[in-house]
Amino acid sequence: MIALLLLALNIGVRDVNVCGLSVPTEFGEWRAAEEESSYDRATLYDYMNGGAEVYLSFDYQRVCVRRFVDSDDNEIVLDVYDMGSSAEAFGVFSVSIEDPEVDIGQGSEFGAGLLKFWKGKYFVSVVNQGIDESADQMLLEIGRAVDEAIESTGPEPEMLQLLPPEGLNRRQSSYFHSNVILSNRFFIAAENLLQLSDETNCVFGEYGEMGSGGSVLIVEYPDAVKAVEAHSSFIRGYTPETDGSSPVQTENGNWTYSRITDRYVSIVLEAPTEERASALLSSIRFN
Amino acid sequence: MVRKLTRRDFMKGSAAGVLGATVALPTRQTTRSRVVLVRDENALDANSAFNGEVIQQMLDDAVMALFEENTPVDAFRRMVSANQTVGIKTNVWNYLPTPPELETAIKQRVLDVGVSEGRIAIDDRSVRNNPIFQNADSIINVRPLRTHYLSGVSGCMKNLIMFSDSQSKWHPNSCADLGLLVNLPEVSGRLRLHILSVLTPQYHGRGPHHFSRRYVWNYKGLLVGTDVVAVDAVALQLLMAKRTEVLGAARALPPVPIHIERADKVHGLGNSDMANIDLIKLGWQEDILI
Repeated sequence: MIALLLLALNIGVRDVNVCGLSVPTEFGEWRAAEEESSYDRATLYDYMNGGAEVYLSFDYQRVCVRRFVDSDDNEIVLDVYDMGSSAEAFGVFSVSIEDPEVDIGQGSEFGAGLLKFWKGKYFVSVVNQGIDESADQMLLEIGRAVDEAIESTGPEPEMLQLLPPEGLNRRQSSYFHSNVILSNRFFIAAENLLQLSDETNCVFGEYGEMGSGGSVLIVEYPDAVKAVEAHSSFIRGYTPETDGSSPVQTENGNWTYSRITDRYVSIVLEAPTEERASALLSSIRFN
Repeated sequence: MVRKLTRRDFMKGSAAGVLGATVALPTRQTTRSRVVLVRDENALDANSAFNGEVIQQMLDDAVMALFEENTPVDAFRRMVSANQTVGIKTNVWNYLPTPPELETAIKQRVLDVGVSEGRIAIDDRSVRNNPIFQNADSIINVRPLRTHYLSGVSGCMKNLIMFSDSQSKWHPNSCADLGLLVNLPEVSGRLRLHILSVLTPQYHGRGPHHFSRRYVWNYKGLLVGTDVVAVDAVALQLLMAKRTEVLGAARALPPVPIHIERADKVHGLGNSDMANIDLIKLGWQEDILI
């Protein structure tokens, strides 16, 4: 009873610091196990090897890692990533979404021992390292506590507005910069045909069930000259049958169509018909 | 020279090395490669705990078939001798490490050959500073199979990256030239055997660490060979088969695993075409997929 009263008054429950956010030391039988560890851009490889490229392709600042353990030494790992801005936090969240939203942060997914969400400049993951699925519900409690500790929200990338809204599967819309992410999101070529880099901004959207209505990729380059070079590279490497002025039917019967608008390259991929490819491309507005 | 690989190649089915369906490009390999796939339904129990005795038998069966020897010790003598120093390059990635039971099985047979305990090391992240590895006459390369965000496949080639002074320098262009790791002076001429644990492989990744228990399955197998390219090529076939079964044909391919094809077609380090690989299947056949 006293313990419940103390809990209600938030007395005697110590907090730990995770990237400057105050998070409870204990969640049920799970206790914070050790001092926080953190990794900046120079040391991220020490934490996640190849996966580091995903974060380094965004404006990643640092990740703070806090482990929680139960009496059997099972682990839940809380990662709080400072992505520098809300647009970048949304971006790293958006590159792979498979599970349902759980109303944590500004966008979330939860399933199979993984909770991911973004809020403000933070991207957060909470992972159940063990195989005991009963621990999964604790991920939500930890996630909600971190959500509460993050005081400010932030906007999604403005560039998302360029994706034509009709038929768009908004939950699968992605924002990113590099070819590494594009290849995982939608493989176009082993080579970086679109000359993506940390200077480019990309949005990718799917239309219809599982992209059955086609997909749209829009790339923003630093200037029109680089956009022209990249578009030419794409045409040469992917649709050499055309000069870019008309849709191309690919080997699976679907249609690809691209165009350049100032410093933007827009590409419709896997449209089911030639008419759909043209209509989708025409519906992209830059004003 | 390998042409630029695009999505349209996969639509046409002409991405020969990666798909393994057709042979569209000449290969520099003139000899065939042998890879052994051994499976045992008792390799894991109902709680997914590894059975060390069964795994030892699986390893023994695999090396006997690979080297056509009658005993596992004779098979290991084809790789190491009693007066050698032997490094067992493992993988300690905490989400899916090499099962200790498999490390133990390998070490046991190295001991049985007559190598002294003090001249055997099992290591991963500190191999460059490990005196046993620095002086190793023979290296046995072992790790679990999984998908990887950059390279598509984390197989035996990628397991050698810890011998390099820089991991990130191998990452450009989807880790295209990972095969050249076998030429590092730390391992060149010393690699005797490559073992991919497909006891619980991971066929798709998600989340910050590219891991999800949802995409790990109890396949209960080992892939064993002396041609690292061939071992990884067979592993890719297995991953693609599982991805096709669960995720659908459109997602059969993990992201651009071009390093396997390039290791063969560009660098001439082994066989990537299934047409040039003799795959020997031993043991449990249910849901074998390849």
